[in-house]
Amino acid sequence: MLMPKKVKYRKQQRGRRTGKAWRGGSLAFGEYGLKALEPAWITDRQIEAARVAITRFIKRGGKLWIRIFPDKPFTKKPAETRMGKGKGPPEHWVAVVKPGRVMFEMAGVDLAAAKEAMALASHKLPIRTKFVNRAEEL
Amino acid sequence: METFTVEGQIRDLRGKGPARRMRQNGTVPAILYGGRKDSVSLVVNTKQVVRILRSETGHNTIFTVQVAGGQQEKAMLKDWQVDPVSGALLHVDLLRIAMDVRMRVRVPVHTFGEPQGVKMQGGIFEMVTREVEVECLPGDIPEEFKVDVSEMVIGKQLRAADLPLDPEKIKLLTDPLRVLAHVVVLKKEEEAPVEAAVAAEAAPAEPEVIKKGKKEAEEGEAEGEAAPKAEKSEKKK
Repeated sequence: MLMPKKVKYRKQQRGRRTGKAWRGGSLAFGEYGLKALEPAWITDRQIEAARVAITRFIKRGGKLWIRIFPDKPFTKKPAETRMGKGKGPPEHWVAVVKPGRVMFEMAGVDLAAAKEAMALASHKLPIRTKFVNRAEEL
Repeated sequence: METFTVEGQIRDLRGKGPARRMRQNGTVPAILYGGRKDSVSLVVNTKQVVRILRSETGHNTIFTVQVAGGQQEKAMLKDWQVDPVSGALLHVDLLRIAMDVRMRVRVPVHTFGEPQGVKMQGGIFEMVTREVEVECLPGDIPEEFKVDVSEMVIGKQLRAADLPLDPEKIKLLTDPLRVLAHVVVLKKEEEAPVEAAVAAEAAPAEPEVIKKGKKEAEEGEAEGEAAPKAEKSEKKK
């Protein structure tokens, strides 16, 4: 699973997810991409599941870039614990994704294969997504 | 070569409210600057600008800006902002062009042919740099650089110096050694054994927390100070 090697603090405040992704909203590496249309916290497991879905579909041939990284710790209190006694321990790691963010990019495959691979990946994610193509970008 | 004209009007209204109303009416806020003249805020037709961006010459197209009640000026798209979700055009920067002054532009690089490294060796062709920066007169701006990559094998790179350009007219500003494209070997993904995967899931690994350097130093000092005191107290006894 993806997670930071070092952190300054073990726990973080939740923050807000307003606005659009004004950075990281265009294709930077590949020919095709998968763009988020909703804000969400994408967990390390969801990113890994999407990555596995893509790599299994394209088998060999094609290159994949993951443009998001789960660098935010998500804490959870243990089951059947009374309230209080401080914040719970870190459970997993999430990436903060805003609408417009390009999450995955691909190159070296044809359009139909890329579309299918991205559709499989989008099924592993908790948000609506859009397939983007470099040829159609302004 | 296709010629384009963008019709614009002087824009007096500022702020997000008027800008949003302009966008709803099929226009987009713009600014025209450069050419040692004052900048002018404009409203231009969105479809005309999008047609230029989608043309073969793309953002390097030289077109005429027809300002209502004003004169015509030659211009080029310097920058444009796009909504990250819808992809709609939000704002454009237009740069006045003097046809006798050399300018810096970014020209796209396109490749054709299937590389040998992909066809025969099973590698992957990867485009690393898609645009190069050149300096030339506005009339000499190339539409694109077309490069044949059919001879490329694994480990071979296409560099900026390999581009076919006329050195008398066009000066390459990008580093000549900059890699534009290469054929790479695909790393084989090894599936982790089931036991290892289960162990990885079970162990809630946590990253290392960076300790503050100052704290350690302070602790060290504190210990240093505490040690002589202890010695003194022992002596008293």
